[in-house]
Amino acid sequence: MSVPPPAKAPAFAIHRRRTRILGLSLDQCIQAFFGGHALTAVIVLTLITVFLFKEGIDFFGQNRENLRIYRQSGMEYVDVLRELERDHTSLTRYLYDIRLRALQHLTGPGGRSLPEANAALADLDALVERFGDAVVPIRGFVSDYGEVAVGIKTRFIENQDFAEAKRQYLAAGMVAEAEAITVAPIDFKAEVAAITGAFPEFEAGGRDLAREVASTVQQLPALPTPELQHRLERFQQLAREYAASIDGRLEQMRTWQWDRPVPATQAFTAFIFGRQWLTASFWQDWYGIVPLFVGSLMVSAIALSLAVPLGIGAAIYVNQFASRREQQLIKPTIEFISAIPSVVLGFFGIAVLGQALRALSQAEWLAWVPGFPFAERLNALTAGCLLALIAVPTIFTLAEDALNNVPRAFREASYALGASRLQTILRIIVPASLSGIISAVLLGLGRVIGETMVVLLCAGNRIAIPDFTQGLTAFVQPVHTMTGIIAQEMGEVVRGSIHYRALFVVGIVLFFVALLINFLAQKIVRRHRISIG
Amino acid sequence: MPAPVPNHPFVTRSSRGRLIEGAVFWLMRLATYFVLVCGLCVLGDIFLKGGRTVFQAEFPYVNVPFLTQAPETLYVFEHEGQKMQLGDRDFRAFREAATAKAKAAGQPAPQFRTESYVYSAGGIWPCIVGTVLLVVGSMSIALILGVASAIYLNEYAKDTPGVRAIRLAILNLAGVPSIVFGLFGFGLFVIFLDWNVSLLAGWFTLAFMVLPVVITASEEALKAVPKGFREGSLALGATKWQTIRKNVLPYALPGILTSSILGIARVAGETAPIMFTAAYVVRDKLPWEVEKVSDFFFQGVMALPYHIYVVSSKIPQNEYTARVQYGTAFVFLFIVAVIALSSILLRNHLRRRYQW
Repeated sequence: MSVPPPAKAPAFAIHRRRTRILGLSLDQCIQAFFGGHALTAVIVLTLITVFLFKEGIDFFGQNRENLRIYRQSGMEYVDVLRELERDHTSLTRYLYDIRLRALQHLTGPGGRSLPEANAALADLDALVERFGDAVVPIRGFVSDYGEVAVGIKTRFIENQDFAEAKRQYLAAGMVAEAEAITVAPIDFKAEVAAITGAFPEFEAGGRDLAREVASTVQQLPALPTPELQHRLERFQQLAREYAASIDGRLEQMRTWQWDRPVPATQAFTAFIFGRQWLTASFWQDWYGIVPLFVGSLMVSAIALSLAVPLGIGAAIYVNQFASRREQQLIKPTIEFISAIPSVVLGFFGIAVLGQALRALSQAEWLAWVPGFPFAERLNALTAGCLLALIAVPTIFTLAEDALNNVPRAFREASYALGASRLQTILRIIVPASLSGIISAVLLGLGRVIGETMVVLLCAGNRIAIPDFTQGLTAFVQPVHTMTGIIAQEMGEVVRGSIHYRALFVVGIVLFFVALLINFLAQKIVRRHRISIG
Repeated sequence: MPAPVPNHPFVTRSSRGRLIEGAVFWLMRLATYFVLVCGLCVLGDIFLKGGRTVFQAEFPYVNVPFLTQAPETLYVFEHEGQKMQLGDRDFRAFREAATAKAKAAGQPAPQFRTESYVYSAGGIWPCIVGTVLLVVGSMSIALILGVASAIYLNEYAKDTPGVRAIRLAILNLAGVPSIVFGLFGFGLFVIFLDWNVSLLAGWFTLAFMVLPVVITASEEALKAVPKGFREGSLALGATKWQTIRKNVLPYALPGILTSSILGIARVAGETAPIMFTAAYVVRDKLPWEVEKVSDFFFQGVMALPYHIYVVSSKIPQNEYTARVQYGTAFVFLFIVAVIALSSILLRNHLRRRYQW
């Protein structure tokens, strides 16, 4: 009799051997898998920082070198003279402006004919001419010695290229070719001496200029209106200040040294405080972020000054006044507006809004608005209006959320005390949700300052600090922005060049500005969260 | 005798306060509708003027060549007293025919004085294809990464410093400007990894940009699944992963997908990140015309948003170019609008359907 085989023991899940991978149970593995994915956000943020710095950080070294050669080639020295000439030119322009106004006044309605008017301005013309002629010798110096300085710089750059080629030949083992390249070192001291040696001429020229300018403006011709006379007196004052400044500038040239070292911090400060962004110029490239930063700020300021009242007003209206049906109409529509791609808005700005705004600015009844009428179709105002449309949905949605989070009891308590609806909103609900509203505005600002396509297409892209002396007219001038310059120039630069690195540094600035805004928004929300109870 | 004025404390009196309240109310209402009108103006302008390019009066009512051809240069010229506009290929054929005809008749070859506008003839088919490829690829990456992160954050993570750091990173990532993502993608993928301007670089750049949106949306959808579902499953002896797979994800998935559609709209709409990572101004070949399969991933493509940028900034604004400018904007806006609208509608639908 054979023993029957033992019945198979029933398999309980509890007895099943756990699969272990690297000492982890299956569930732990799955957890680790998901956790790994969750880390992506941290990794990406780190990688962004690393790569922005990796590409950008060399800029400061290169910029220092850039500034050093600017000094050693004597360009800095010649630039003192250039500035002397430039200031003179701007004074001349001021004078021309006065003449134009006077002419317009004389030939205005019921006025004289053109030849008569010109004859009446003969005194002024004599002044203009004499003033303009005073700078001729300096202009000659600038062009002559400027060429010498540029020559030194060009040879220096050529030398660098030769040295680089030689190094590459040697690295490739091509000794014969490397030998063929000879790099003639530049004796900066001797070369620059050719420029600085002419200092007595400069000094004499400068003194002459000062004397001539001072004596020219001694006697002022009479102008038809007190307003113009006042302008001319202002010119007289400016010209005297100019003449007085010449001695200081000559002194600056006398003490100038070609070999004074460029401190490392200057590469940094020249970027942060530099008032010029000038690339691919024949003279000297400048990488100063101020015009771009101001442009970004200005466009954002316009956008926010439009978007904040509209967005918050709409949020309060929808949250407090609107009927349910109205809410169901408005909320999705605004959400839908936020989905309009920025490049389409930019295109709309170029195709329609720019012209429309310009036409509006030329309307008679709007002439009192500062800056109106303007001639540029694409300017900070056009871009700002479109950015406002981008910012409104962000501000609206977040502010509405914040208002929603105010407990019902607050409102009811306020009504119970006899407050009116408006009082309740202004004194109770808005203050209670203020932190949320402020952070909504900040996030709107973050959205606007980081927006690229609209400003690239519609802001006018002129790299200059807007002229704030005229007040609000600065807001209808074309500007360039940090985001716009990256988008515009990145495609054209040589990889690894100083210009390329400068664009990455602008990116770093943008990145940290965005992080700062985000950080502030979070902090405000967290600190001022209302406690219920 | 005048009617007696009711004299109790709850009577409605017209006062200055009430007047101001009314004024403020109307001001806010005006602000709200002003925003709506502005938005609708933009949409209306582009839909109206773009519609003229995309639709036509005769059958098939849609301008098929515009949607299915590659961009070409437009030649505008006068020939035998007639003003003519021809695309690049047609123009060459026409010129040859005219020359041959003149030769046969023994006349000198006709001279054409043409004005040419790049990209203004033909269609935008390669751009549509490129955009679809970019969106599909980057959203797949973003969804995988985003949903997995959300599952971890919502189901596994406890409130440890590490998790807080992750949440902080997600919040901050959402605020990084898109152009910075473009620079980053250029530095990492295009240069460091040497992928050149390619689909792959564009995919990852866009995926990382949209990641915060997807994570937040997915987490919200997961949170909406009631706790009882998980507890019931765990009480029956299921493991954590089994619970998530069978009892959480199926209910959260519709929510995840609909909210992520908004991310798709964002990906499709962004121009700055793909400017240096994936987009070409012009490319003759379509993406699938490659020699090796691997080449597919390492090729740049044309994309609708970038094409809009190019046609609106690099060519002049006039009657000949408006056709392609508005047409492209119309098609692009139409695609994005359909995506966004479906997301909004689906979400409202879901909100009504899933209520626990």
